[in-house]
Amino acid sequence: MRGKADARSLAARLGAGPWPVYCTLILALLVPLSTNQYTQFIVNLILVYVVVAVGFNIVIGNLGQLAFTSTTCFGIGAYTTAILMVHVSLPFWVALPGGAIMGAIAGVLASATALRGIRVYYLAIITLALGELMRWVYIHADTLTRGTDGLAVPVANFFGFPFDSEIKRYYLFLAIAVAVVKSTSNLLRSRIGRAIAAIRDNELATASLGIATGQYIIAAFVWSGFVVGIAGGMFALLIGRVAPESFDLTELIFHFAMVMVGGLGSLAGSVLGAITLTALPEFFRSLPGLEEMLFGVLVAVVLLFRPKGLASFFAAFLPPFRQRFCRPDS
Amino acid sequence: MLYQLLISGIAQGSIYALVALSLTVVYRGTTIVNFGHGDMVMAGAFVAYACVVLLGMPFAPAALAALALLFVLGWAVQRGLIEPIKAGPHIGFAMMSIAVGYVLRGTVRAGWGREVLPMPRVFDVSPLVVGDVVLTGDAIVFVGAVATFMIVFFLILYRTQLGQIVQAVFQSERGAALVGINVGAFHGATWGLGGGMAAVAGVLLAPVTLLYPDLGANFLIRGFAAMTLGGFGSLLGAVTGGLLLGMTEQLLGGYVSTKLIDIAAYLVIIAVLVLKPNGLFGRTAVVRV
Repeated sequence: MRGKADARSLAARLGAGPWPVYCTLILALLVPLSTNQYTQFIVNLILVYVVVAVGFNIVIGNLGQLAFTSTTCFGIGAYTTAILMVHVSLPFWVALPGGAIMGAIAGVLASATALRGIRVYYLAIITLALGELMRWVYIHADTLTRGTDGLAVPVANFFGFPFDSEIKRYYLFLAIAVAVVKSTSNLLRSRIGRAIAAIRDNELATASLGIATGQYIIAAFVWSGFVVGIAGGMFALLIGRVAPESFDLTELIFHFAMVMVGGLGSLAGSVLGAITLTALPEFFRSLPGLEEMLFGVLVAVVLLFRPKGLASFFAAFLPPFRQRFCRPDS
Repeated sequence: MLYQLLISGIAQGSIYALVALSLTVVYRGTTIVNFGHGDMVMAGAFVAYACVVLLGMPFAPAALAALALLFVLGWAVQRGLIEPIKAGPHIGFAMMSIAVGYVLRGTVRAGWGREVLPMPRVFDVSPLVVGDVVLTGDAIVFVGAVATFMIVFFLILYRTQLGQIVQAVFQSERGAALVGINVGAFHGATWGLGGGMAAVAGVLLAPVTLLYPDLGANFLIRGFAAMTLGGFGSLLGAVTGGLLLGMTEQLLGGYVSTKLIDIAAYLVIIAVLVLKPNGLFGRTAVVRV
C-alpha cells in the first residue's frame, strides 16, 4: 500500500518536472542515427511543421480566432528568405529573420481586420482570400519570384560552414524549433499569454477588467506571424525551391488540421499534430486519393472522439502529464 | 462588347448564385458555414457523370440520382458528424466540413485517378443571336435552370406552410422548438437541401466543363465572395451577389486584364469586408452585452 502511494506521488512529481522534455530532447538529438537520407528529410519537414503548428495555434487555439493566416505568413516568410538570399545575396542567418519579420507584418495586417470587428466566419473568409491573393502575387511578380517555375534557394552557409546535408539541416532546424517552442511557452505563461487566454474565454469580460484587448490581439497575431514566417524560411532552405503551389488552400488545410488533431491551444499538441500528419501520409503514397480519404477520416474521428486533440489522448493515459499536455481548463 | 460580357457574366454568375444560395441556406438554418460545399458540388457532378457514362443512364434520371444522393449525404453529415460536436467551437465545425470535403475528393480521386474528364454534351440548345450579342446554348440552359430553381425555392419559402416553418427556425430555434417544430430533423433536412442544391450546380456544370476532383475549391471561394457581396446570411443577397460577381469577373477580364478573372472573387471579399462588412442586403448585427 505504502509503496503504491509512494510510486504514485513519485510519478506525479516526475510528471510535473521538466524531465519528459529533457528525455524528448535527448532522443531528438539521437534521431539521425536511425535515418537514411529520405527519412531524415521527412524528419526535417516535421520540424518545419512543428514550428508552423506552434505559430498557427497561437491565433486559432490560444486566441480562439478563426483566422486562416498561416499560409500567408508561411509563404511570405519563405519568399522573403529566398528573395533576400537570391537577389540581395544575404546569408541565411540574416534572410531567415527577415522572413520572420515580414511574416509578423502580415500578422499585423490580419489583426487589423480582426480589430475592425470582422470575426468568426467573416475573418475566416477574408484571411482565406488574402492567402489566395498572395499566391496570385507570387505567380505574377515573376521578376522577383520567377512565377510558377519557382525560385531556387542556394545552400545555407554560416561563415563558410555549409548546411548541405539533411543531417546538418536537422540540427539547425532542431535548434530553431526548440527555441521557438521554449519562447512561445514562456510567452504563453507571461502576462501576455494570460491576457490572450482571457480574450479567448470572454473578450468583453477581459476588456472590462481594464485589459487592453486590442493590444493583446495584435501581439498574438504578430507572434504567430513571426513564428510561421520562421517556418517559411526553414521550408525554403529545406526544399531548396520556393514555388506558389506550396502555399495553396491544401497547405492551409494541412496547417489547420495539424492544430486541430494535435489539440487547440496546446503546445505539446502542436508538436504531436505536426508529427502525426506529416509522417502518416508517407505510408500511403502509392494510392491516389487514399491519402486524402484517410486524412479526412482521421480528422473527423479526432473531432468526434477527442475534441481536445491527441494531446488529451496522452493526458488520459498518463495522468501525471496532464498539466503538460493540456491547457488548464481541459 | 459590354453586353456580351454582361451576358456571359450572368451565365457564370448564376452558378455562383446557386452555390452562394445553398451556402446561405445552411448558414441560416444551422449557423454553420460548410467549408466542404465546393466538394459537394464536385461530388454532384461526378455522380451525374458516373450515371451517364458508366451506367448509360439518360441525363434526367442521372441528375435526379445525383440530387437524391447528395441530399442523403448532406443529411447524414449533419446528423452523424456535426450534431455530436454541436457544443464545441465554430472552429470544430469548419474543420469537420473540410474533412468531409477531403473524403469526397479522395473517393473521387481513388475512382478516377488524376485524369481530367470530359462528359458528352447533353444540352443541345442552339445559340441565340440578338444583334451582335451571342447567347450561347450553355448560357441559356444555365440561366434558365437556375432561374427556375430559384423561383420554385422562393415560392416555397414565402408562400407555403413549409416555408413558414423554415422562416420560423431561421428567426429563433428555441421559439420554433416551443411551437412544436422538430429542430433536429430540420437541421438534417437543411444540410440535405444544401447538398441537393450543390448537386444541382454540379449537374449543370458537368456537361459544360472538364471534371476533376479539385474543381470544388473555386466554387467555394466564389460562393463566399457572392455571399459576402450580397450580405452574409441574406438569401436574396446571395443571389444578387452571385450575379454581380459573375459580371464583375467578366468585365474585369474584358476591359482590364484576363489575369484578374482569377482574383476578382478575392478582391471582392477584401473590399466588401473592409469597406462595408454587411454587404448589400445584410443587416447590422446587434451585439447584446
